Amino acid sequence: SELKFANFMPPANPYQAGAFEPFAEKLAAATNNEITVHIYAGGELGPGPVEQFSRAVDGVADFAVGLPGYTASQFPVTLLTELPGVIDEETGTEVIWKNIALFKPEFKRAVLVSLWSNADNVLYTREKPVRTPDDVKGLKIRVPSRNAGLLVEAWGATPVSMPVPEIYNALQTGVIDGALIDGTGTKAFKLGEVSKYLTVGFDTTISPFFIVMNRDSFASLNDEQKAAIEEIGKEISVTANAVQLAAAHKGIDAFAEMDGKQVIRLSDEEAAAFNALADEARAKAIEEATASGIAAGDVVSALQAQ
Amino acid sequence: MSPISKKAWPALVDRATLALAALAGLFLLFLVGLVFVAVLLRYVAQSPILGINEIVQLVAVAIVMLALPWCTDRNGHVRADVFDRAIGRAGRFSGDLFSRCFSTFVLSVLVYRSWLKLLDAREFEDVTNMLSLPIWPFYGMMVAGMGLCVFVLVLQIAVILMTGEEMK
Amino acid sequence: MTDLTLGVLAFVALFGLMIFRTPVAFAMLIVGYFGMALQGGFRTAGAVLVTETYSSVTNYSLIVVPMFVLLGNVASAAGFSRGLYDAAYAWVGRFRGGLASASVLGCAAFSAVSGSSVATAVTIGKVALPEMRRLGYADGLSTGSIAAGGTLGFLIPPSTGFVLYAILTEESIGRLFMAGILPGLLMTALFMAAVWLTVLRKPEAGRPGDPMAFSDRLRILSAALPLIAVMVLSIGGIYAGVFTPVEASAIGAGLVILIALATGALTLKTFTGAVLETVQTSAMLYMIVIGANVLNPLLAVTKLPVAFSDLLTVLGFGPYGTLFLILMCYVVLGMFLDGLAMLVITLPIFFPIVLQQGFDPIWFGVVAVIVIEMGMITPPVGLNVFVIRSVARDVPMATIFKGVAPFLLAMILCLLLIICFPQIALLLPNSMFG
Ligand code: NA
Ligand code: NA
Repeated sequence: SELKFANFMPPANPYQAGAFEPFAEKLAAATNNEITVHIYAGGELGPGPVEQFSRAVDGVADFAVGLPGYTASQFPVTLLTELPGVIDEETGTEVIWKNIALFKPEFKRAVLVSLWSNADNVLYTREKPVRTPDDVKGLKIRVPSRNAGLLVEAWGATPVSMPVPEIYNALQTGVIDGALIDGTGTKAFKLGEVSKYLTVGFDTTISPFFIVMNRDSFASLNDEQKAAIEEIGKEISVTANAVQLAAAHKGIDAFAEMDGKQVIRLSDEEAAAFNALADEARAKAIEEATASGIAAGDVVSALQAQ
Repeated sequence: MSPISKKAWPALVDRATLALAALAGLFLLFLVGLVFVAVLLRYVAQSPILGINEIVQLVAVAIVMLALPWCTDRNGHVRADVFDRAIGRAGRFSGDLFSRCFSTFVLSVLVYRSWLKLLDAREFEDVTNMLSLPIWPFYGMMVAGMGLCVFVLVLQIAVILMTGEEMK
Repeated sequence: MTDLTLGVLAFVALFGLMIFRTPVAFAMLIVGYFGMALQGGFRTAGAVLVTETYSSVTNYSLIVVPMFVLLGNVASAAGFSRGLYDAAYAWVGRFRGGLASASVLGCAAFSAVSGSSVATAVTIGKVALPEMRRLGYADGLSTGSIAAGGTLGFLIPPSTGFVLYAILTEESIGRLFMAGILPGLLMTALFMAAVWLTVLRKPEAGRPGDPMAFSDRLRILSAALPLIAVMVLSIGGIYAGVFTPVEASAIGAGLVILIALATGALTLKTFTGAVLETVQTSAMLYMIVIGANVLNPLLAVTKLPVAFSDLLTVLGFGPYGTLFLILMCYVVLGMFLDGLAMLVITLPIFFPIVLQQGFDPIWFGVVAVIVIEMGMITPPVGLNVFVIRSVARDVPMATIFKGVAPFLLAMILCLLLIICFPQIALLLPNSMFG
């Protein structure tokens, strides 16, 4: 039967052709077309990233793609992967899958199909070039998640939360001074138009993505089909990560090429000043998570050991 | 087309829904004040209120859900009345009746599913991202507002059946 | 049943329900729910219902609706609308047909605080109609100018039409608001030209008002200044990048309330009335958004939008031919349907096609809003005409529909100009955001 795949991102997003369509194709091929997947892009099955996990849990869609950071309280362990200095953008997805058993229980309201780490978040600033923690002090910075908020606080700036589509207006109007988001922001959200500087090269958060499947839909499949989904889901995690990294790097390069815009690539020395603060933020997040009954220290050690 | 007779309609329903709508109005004024102050704080005191969007979202649910029974009670929902004459008296009567029956059914499903979501959100202790506000009261308000709306619709069905009258 | 059959059936059911007196929002909820149940089972249908309701009411941007509606209602309850009309009258009343022009101007000014066409028509209608009748204006001209002028409520920001468009297409509310300003002014000018041409043909239809000394004109204008200042501040604040639209709506509503309280223009009773009216309208509009969001997934899974757009591609009319077809659909639907309902039902189908044909989404928002406004004054169902009828009970409906005819022509002209010169709509949003 045909399964519904909810993608809240516009069809032109690189994920669509680079990861989601291959997911559908591989699944069809592996199951002799017993499972076909129709991808509804652009939020046709329901807009925005926030409710996507719900949509898969409740069965609006059979598959849904989303970000754990939008409903952080549901994924405290998974979100440990996004803490600065825990994984890096190149090998992160591999590390996540070596430890997948740690994260799976958090997705138990649905079935976890894919999970991958994103590109590093980078800092777009409206007017102020950021090279040292002093530069960033007191700035209002949009953060993608609670953990990113801790990081920004550790830098001495004020975190502001807002949905991605509002960053553009907020930067343009000075509601915020900067935004922490991955390098795809240059193109996908046109942040190149409303910021002058882009700082990269320090430890920041790396927001993970997931694809989940509705439990009943999964249960209705035979063992062979289930195995195919598990295997292809894992494979697509790696593909999706590669797609996103390429797009993010392209976004950073595109920013550098725009008139009057500057990409600030921190030297190791400059980065170290930020990274020391990031270590504090990580320690604080681990402490908080531990206080709420999660073996956060062990999880982070396991991830860092790779 | 006579409006529904005042005698047949329990005044208590009018008063109860009005009270809720008034509460919704207070919430709206609160929100206006809150965002107003937040803007002032940002420009005057240079300190934005963190996570204000989550408060706005929460209060918006309250405003809509508290005002919905009143809106339904007053037949405040937009409808196309161009064919009213063409469908005849029987058409109008059955239209009023069946549209309310269908609406009642669908809203009842909504109330039930909202209730399940409430239980789910409580079990998993879902909270908002920045302010860690619990999510389940959002669903609670949906249960309450839509539930009352169902109640108003059922009463309207009863009145239509008893009096044979069309709604406004 | 194929998906496509289901899609067509859904539309038949939708119109059937609406013909049989089901409110638009509930019709969409019912069809969305049962359609989804047929397609994917009751579990999926229930899931769509609860998820879309929740995500609609928690949509942060949508809060501008209650706030801007409150702004307009309080301005009206405090009698500030009277001040706007008086100011307009002071400056253009002494010309031939001047009261009708003043009505159009008053509507335009009030549109800048009111998001709704109906509210604009009623508010200015209550003030302006008695004046025009006192001076013996022809019923067609007086009622027509207000019914048409009221439609500016949707085009000149703030506008619930643009908010709904933005929510459904994920475009920026701020940009759409900016895009509405110049077309709104153009339309105002064209409406006044329509008045002028009407009295040129029939001078007896609208004689000039009493002339007024320059000092009096200034005095009356200055009395309207506080409200004009609020308009400039809140809408101008979006343009200047001082506020987001949500903030602008709260600033606008807050300031009007403060001014009204400070000048003693509000009693507890009128204020309560304005607030209750606001939450009722808000509940109604939110229900329409919920209904649309429940219906949309059904339309998506029936693949009706794709089929429709494939059909248009096969027909091969090119971008402007396709646009023309879509606009004709709107004109026909607009004869019968409420404007907002039309917008929410058709956008999931038309919007992707319009994008595919290479049109600017913000520009199409303006075009769609103008066509919807036309529907508000075309027979047989013209919401604004009905509303004016409720203010001028003794004027036959046919007279009002005849009276709006010149204004309808003005709207078509305005539409053509915006299609030929998209810059009219896009200049401000593009200059604002670079
Ligand atoms: Na307006
Ligand atoms: Na019409």
